Amino acid sequence: MSIGGRSRSFLDPQALARLSAIPLFSRRAMIGNVSGIHASPHRGSSVEFAEYRRYVPGDDIRRLDWRAFGRSDRYYVKEFEADTNLRCCLILDTSGSMNFGSGGIAKIEYARRILGSLAHIAVQQGDAVGLTCIAEKIVQTIPPRRTPSHLRGVFDILENSRPKGDTRLVGRLHELAETIPQRALIVLVSDLFMPPADLKSAFEHFRFRKHDVAVFHLFDPLELSFDFQRPMRFLDLEGGPSVFAEPTEIADRYHKALDLYLAELKQIVLGAAVDYHRVRLDEDYELVLRNFLAARTRTKGVR
Amino acid sequence: MSFLQPAMLFALPLIALPIVIHLINQYRYRTIEWAAMFFLLTANKMSRGYARIRQWLILLMRTLAVAGLIFAISRPLASGWMRLAAPGNIDTTIILLDRSPSMQQQGTRTGMTKLDSARQQLVQSLSLLKSNRWVLIDSAINTPIELESPETLETILEAEPTSASADIPAMLETVHNYLRDNRPSRTEVWLCSDLRLHDWDSESSRWDVLRKAFLESPNPVRFHLLAYASSDSSNRSVRVTSTAVQETSTGRELLISLKIERATSSEESERLPVRLELNGTSTEIPMEISGSETELKNYSFALEGQPSKGWGRVTIPADSNADDNEFYFVYDEPPPRTTVVVSDDPRGVKALELAAGISANPSLTLSVSVVSPHLVLDTDWDQVALLLWDAPLPDAETAPIVQSLVDRGAQVVFFPPESDDEGTFANLSWGSWEQPDSELQVSTWIQDQDLLANVQSGAALPVGELKISRYRTLDGERTTLAALSSGDPLLCRAVTDLRNVYFCTTRPVFGDSTLASDGVVLYVMIQRALASGATSLGSVRQLNAGEIDPATTSDWSPLSRSDRTLSTTFGYQAGAYRSEERLFAVNRSAEEDRATIVGDDRVSALFRDLPFDRVDDEVGSGSALLREIWPTFLLIMMLMLIAEAVLCLPRRIAQTDAPVPFAKGVAA
Repeated sequence: MSIGGRSRSFLDPQALARLSAIPLFSRRAMIGNVSGIHASPHRGSSVEFAEYRRYVPGDDIRRLDWRAFGRSDRYYVKEFEADTNLRCCLILDTSGSMNFGSGGIAKIEYARRILGSLAHIAVQQGDAVGLTCIAEKIVQTIPPRRTPSHLRGVFDILENSRPKGDTRLVGRLHELAETIPQRALIVLVSDLFMPPADLKSAFEHFRFRKHDVAVFHLFDPLELSFDFQRPMRFLDLEGGPSVFAEPTEIADRYHKALDLYLAELKQIVLGAAVDYHRVRLDEDYELVLRNFLAARTRTKGVR
Repeated sequence: MSFLQPAMLFALPLIALPIVIHLINQYRYRTIEWAAMFFLLTANKMSRGYARIRQWLILLMRTLAVAGLIFAISRPLASGWMRLAAPGNIDTTIILLDRSPSMQQQGTRTGMTKLDSARQQLVQSLSLLKSNRWVLIDSAINTPIELESPETLETILEAEPTSASADIPAMLETVHNYLRDNRPSRTEVWLCSDLRLHDWDSESSRWDVLRKAFLESPNPVRFHLLAYASSDSSNRSVRVTSTAVQETSTGRELLISLKIERATSSEESERLPVRLELNGTSTEIPMEISGSETELKNYSFALEGQPSKGWGRVTIPADSNADDNEFYFVYDEPPPRTTVVVSDDPRGVKALELAAGISANPSLTLSVSVVSPHLVLDTDWDQVALLLWDAPLPDAETAPIVQSLVDRGAQVVFFPPESDDEGTFANLSWGSWEQPDSELQVSTWIQDQDLLANVQSGAALPVGELKISRYRTLDGERTTLAALSSGDPLLCRAVTDLRNVYFCTTRPVFGDSTLASDGVVLYVMIQRALASGATSLGSVRQLNAGEIDPATTSDWSPLSRSDRTLSTTFGYQAGAYRSEERLFAVNRSAEEDRATIVGDDRVSALFRDLPFDRVDDEVGSGSALLREIWPTFLLIMMLMLIAEAVLCLPRRIAQTDAPVPFAKGVAA
């Protein structure tokens, strides 16, 4: 697809065209800078009635509801909901582990497709999109903007992102939670290979800052099945020590560790109100995104 | 453990094969760049003992399976004697078989006897071993017999039971002589016995000599003892202690004395019918037994119209040992008890004459004649039962006469002459006269047998009251029956075949000793010697099996015998026999009825420092001494393979299915 004059390998125009039919909603009120399709915590001038409020000196007398005065002999001001756009902050894990992929596609490539598509959808509906790449530190970041030219920069960063180094995800997430203004949509794509307990504080930090957090947790099928038939030497993609193991011997403990991890992570994302999506790399990313967007249409707009 | 195919054990290093394969497999690893190290490291940290040792258990099972296979094809032998049988070929295997009557004791669970069980065990076990030569030495004949194979033990006559006691030291001496003469390179000696004290004679000095001889022997010998030490406390034995024919007013009658012994003493009385078979008639004598033994004295049996000479048998009901349930006897009118006193000094003659001429039994007629030494050649010695020689030892002329008496069984007692005497008889010669300052007394004497034994009531003879003022020393090998406080002997027995030559070192005269004045000891001594000597004159004799010169039985004919008796074994089998006009009753020795066995410690001490192993077997135990156990090892191998397969079974974990549903978001 040629957006901004270049063809991007991680963007499928037909898939984008299909996905664009479903709007991207936030699950809670957002604070934008222009009018949009998302609920705002502030009162505004939309056609949707919000409430009556007692008149206080200084209020615009043009907003007095004379009918209410006639019924109650008191002065009330009629207020309406405001609609705004949102700031969508995309976070891409670019640690070395994201370079893994046994089925012909690496996690980083899968993440590019998800984030690129979401960025396109958001900009198309007038939302601001920013991108942050995280490894040991914040590798690259671009603040949210809603202009199509800004989208090109986002795509460039996605295209040029290279998985490398160790993961320091938790610290960077805290940093982002603090620096991103309140009430934004945070989309994190990562393999989250770290103790779930460490992630808990980061997710709760986002929640405290009233961000709407969505997580795409990427798994390679081989990481789940751990199906090996002969002794293996596992080299750490993030530069850690290698492990020599007899897979038939360690498989049961591996699966047990995986189960414990997933169960604990589930508890954490439920507690932190994270929109969590566990994704296998052999799944169609368009289907994953469609499910993601469709689910949000059902939970949108809590002001 | 021993093996019939020990060469196969060279394949034992193959048990390392599973380990080698495991190591090779480890070297065939693949390298992969892996992202989910977090789970791998967590899995590695998980402490699961079974999971950690599972791989090693699998390796162990595989190793044991290979080991089991190798051991199985090596044909291992196992049993209580597992460690006894040496691997490889044995040059000579010598089997020492105790065939004494006590080995006829049956087991409690089976009708087999100890001897049958021992033979069966030997056949089963030895047939598994390889030996260039098989030799049997049995307790009766005590001569090495070459066997074709161990299976011959089941049919050979020399392995059948006998009534003769065993002499284990003598059998081992035969083994030593065999080794010395044949010089086999490697010898295994298998000794089967019930450890009876009488058979083993464990206190004999012969054991020390034998042990030393085997230790110094250049031929390596290994001893295996198959012991049947258990005894049946309910066993009873019967024995005829004496027979006599006497004329009474009602006619001729046989007086027979019986003794029944029980293996263990019990206060509980028992009524036992004793069957007496005599001249074709059978009589049942009821006897009440209490304690360890009961004796019936002089049971009278009328011999109306029957000859005064004959034989008979007493039997008791069957118990665990059939061999001691019968006893043969022969009877005849008592032979004349003639004593000849040879003396050239009339001082001591009177006492000897009185002691030999006064009978305690009025029915016996005793006669004593006194001859001087130079009339010895003219004396009729045919009917002499006792010779009292109170003169210088027999010279070249008279010695053959005395020796013929000794060989015939007559008793001879020598008293010291006053004159110098350079002569020698029965390897003994007189030394010098000793006259201590004070009178000497007898310090020790043998009270359980021979001339100075205690009386039937158990009371000791007053030997200790004798006072010896003058005595003569004695040179040569002898058995001391009574010793003075100075250490010199008072009465001793020369070492002869029939043990019937005695030497008394003092004379029954005033000034030398109180033998005459305190005449009880002298009287008893002389009367016992006379009674013993008279038996050699009688036309009937009670003999102990195994103590008879085989050459003398060549003209015997059996009067009553068991099925297993052959003419060549008359001397070893109980029964009644005839030789011309003489009758013989052959029975087991009295010691066979005593169930005393040699202690375990003592047995170990007898074979101290020698390669020796012992197995205690039970009659009819059913467990073989040696048996092939390759099926056991095959079973072990199969079990190991099954265990290995179970351990190798994959865990029931879905490898392709995800542990939790995917593509489903967790929507908060």
